[in-house]
Amino acid sequence: MRVQRIAGAQLRLFVRSRLAVVALLLLLLLSAIAALTGAGQAARIASARATAQGAADAAFANQPDRHPHRMVHYGSYALRPLGPLAAFEPGVDAFAGSLIYLEGHRQNATTAAAARESSGLIRFGQLTPAFVLRVLVPLLLVFVGFAMIVAERQSGLLTLQLSHGASWRQLLAGKALALAAVAGVAALPALAALGLAAARAPAEAGVALVMAVAVLLWLGLWVLGITLVSARARSAQSALLALVLAWAVLVVLVPRAAAGVAALVHPLPTKAETDLVIHAELRSLGDSHNPDDPHFAAFKAALLKRHGVARVEDLPYNYRGALSAEGERLTSGLFARHAAEAAATQMQQHRLLAVAAVISPAIGFAQAGMAGAATDLASQLAFLEAAEAHRYRLVQSLNRLHTFEVRAADDAARNRDPIAERQSRVSAGFWAEQKPFAFAGPTAANRMTAMLPGLGVMALWGLGLLWLLRRSPVAP
Amino acid sequence: MMAALLREWRLLAGAARIGLAVLALLAGVAVALGVAEVARTRADIARVVALEARETQAIIGFAKGDAGEFGYYRHHPVARAPGDLAFIAPARGDAVPAVLRIRILALEGQINDNEAANPELLLAGRFDFAFVTLYLAPLLLIALLHDLWSGEREAGRLAALQSLPQARQRLWSPRVAVRLGGVAVALLLPLAIGGAVEGAALPRLLLVAALVLASLLFWTLLALLVARTPAASSTQAAVLAGLWFTVTLVVPAAGHLAINAAVPLPDAAAIARENREEVHAGWDRPRADTMARFVALYPAYRDQAAMGTGFHWKWYFAFQHLGDQAVAADSAAREAGIARREALAQQLGWLLPPIKVAQALQGLAGSDVAADLAFRARVRAAHRALREYHYPFLFHDRPMTPADVAAAPQP
Repeated sequence: MRVQRIAGAQLRLFVRSRLAVVALLLLLLLSAIAALTGAGQAARIASARATAQGAADAAFANQPDRHPHRMVHYGSYALRPLGPLAAFEPGVDAFAGSLIYLEGHRQNATTAAAARESSGLIRFGQLTPAFVLRVLVPLLLVFVGFAMIVAERQSGLLTLQLSHGASWRQLLAGKALALAAVAGVAALPALAALGLAAARAPAEAGVALVMAVAVLLWLGLWVLGITLVSARARSAQSALLALVLAWAVLVVLVPRAAAGVAALVHPLPTKAETDLVIHAELRSLGDSHNPDDPHFAAFKAALLKRHGVARVEDLPYNYRGALSAEGERLTSGLFARHAAEAAATQMQQHRLLAVAAVISPAIGFAQAGMAGAATDLASQLAFLEAAEAHRYRLVQSLNRLHTFEVRAADDAARNRDPIAERQSRVSAGFWAEQKPFAFAGPTAANRMTAMLPGLGVMALWGLGLLWLLRRSPVAP
Repeated sequence: MMAALLREWRLLAGAARIGLAVLALLAGVAVALGVAEVARTRADIARVVALEARETQAIIGFAKGDAGEFGYYRHHPVARAPGDLAFIAPARGDAVPAVLRIRILALEGQINDNEAANPELLLAGRFDFAFVTLYLAPLLLIALLHDLWSGEREAGRLAALQSLPQARQRLWSPRVAVRLGGVAVALLLPLAIGGAVEGAALPRLLLVAALVLASLLFWTLLALLVARTPAASSTQAAVLAGLWFTVTLVVPAAGHLAINAAVPLPDAAAIARENREEVHAGWDRPRADTMARFVALYPAYRDQAAMGTGFHWKWYFAFQHLGDQAVAADSAAREAGIARREALAQQLGWLLPPIKVAQALQGLAGSDVAADLAFRARVRAAHRALREYHYPFLFHDRPMTPADVAAAPQP
């Protein structure tokens, strides 16, 4: 009871402070703007990508009769879908290419990243509900709460309250409760955005709930931390300076510094270098330009032997198609290996950040939110892998058509003989039969598991702060 | 004057000195990271250029002088070599590649390629000298200056200090000068060392120093304006920290939202698809039409436009170019839209000096949007030069000797 009374009295003091009320109102306004524009933008992006994916699939399915190898070069596109919770936390979306052109022989780079389409202002941070909660709300709580205990000590009010029977622990709990109430109000628009996103996609409700828990944990850390500093500081001014410094270090400095260190410790090769290395490795594996290449000679000999014939022309199918499939198998093996290496390096960088979250739980909060919204690095890497798997499947399926549906004689003569050219085309019906690209993203269960390290780090901090609070003496 | 400055330095609290030392350390780390990143970018580019040379040798081996084979297989690396000031805000790890390999096929399918960077690191932002200048230095200045008068008032000394003759010149000005000077030195010393290591041009380095000082001056004036008010020191600190965070976080983030909403861009995926459709339609269109459209752009090859029914590289590269032509207007509109967004952001910068300073630092470092657009322009020019270098070989059926291969324009 007494705790509630202390909290109520403190809340009335907060409301009487004009600075705090104005700051809270401004924050609520910003947060509402972030929630509204976030929802609008995410819906727009998601529908634009779905439309583009549909257009790419339709273009492929509606191609006329063609030679299958033409379709290998015509290719298709994969677009990264945007989950419903991205309205709350767009995560890496703006910095990761969302479009890949899928064609034979090549593993293309991603294109279309919002960061390259925007002004340089994007580097200052994006106004999203998650950004408001991670960066702005903690600073507001600092401004509102830094003096709540230390000022009363300076004015002698504290001694008065303690002499009237309130225990030190009750006082701390009451003050923390009052600040937690402010945190709850400040977080409302962002949490409403999360709730709305979950309401639109009921399957996401479970993850959204865990994300809301992460938000409450994160803001709880600040409530505890501010109460602690305000209880132990010598003066209101030193409490404020210490808290603003802690905010600057934990929220602004460490995440960037950790990213810089991660890039330096686990260097990632450039796309250009990887492509060149793959070319060089490919030549040593089997050079399709060299008629006497040992790999392709052995491949040919094995096929001839299996079918008991002496010439490729006598094979029961089209050798050119089989050769294309073998070439694709070789290149794609290298693509897969190098992509796996690049993904492993990026995950090492990610894990280094996860370790740095022990120093700055802001990183843990960000990683948990992105994992929940499927806008984290792992989701992007999964998309890249799915796109490559789809590319390989599509190209090899076209190569099979090339092998079994195009007569070798027509194939050989198609460049000089218009009739052979016409006969080397396969029916348009095959294109519509190809399965279009689909990427569901990580499952809800996987995403919740991926949130655990971030949640754990925040819980650890919470326990540490609670311990410090329990030990904090009445008079420093 | 000197004596007054020395006195104020001695009077500076231990915490303030530690703050200055930490800022100098952070600026030093940021500069060191910047120099390391720039070195790594240069090494990346050098390795790609060397590997590309080997790749070209391999192509010479199988292309047998056929200019079409060179056109199809040979890539030409276009690099964004970091300049002398790149270390203050390096572009390494950017979504924009440091080196882009292009060939004379349709450019639209190549020029938009992103670097295979870790998006999580990009999202976090860079820890560089520009960051220390924009975010951290003002916070320290605010901490050092906000209670210039209120601190003395709260300690009960203000009236006595104010009654000193010439208090302004003898006391307050040196006090401000020592704090501002301390922060300036903490930033400029690492900058000077980084500049010396990188061999930066002195006038450009001085420009960076002037920008840093301008930003510090802005925050000093703002801090003094607030410090002048009769409010309590903690209120002054809160107001200044609030201003800092409005200027460096809230306004840019809101500006980004507003600008992107105000300037829509043509859809990248639609342009990519249209380019592909145009290029691939080339296989089915009557060849005479394709060649006629091409020689309308390149009349010099009018007499070489005729071709038989077989495959010919000149036809292939002709319809590749026509594919680019088909989306040239949309593609240019997209780049113009990006430039427009950046122009609006620059205008916003004039309202908020620290933002303008950050933009100017990124501009000098060559890692801003303008640098990306300039790089794209350079890639387009290089692509054009390379195409036009290959056309005479393709249209006159001239073999490409190794000497001709080596003589191709260097992007």
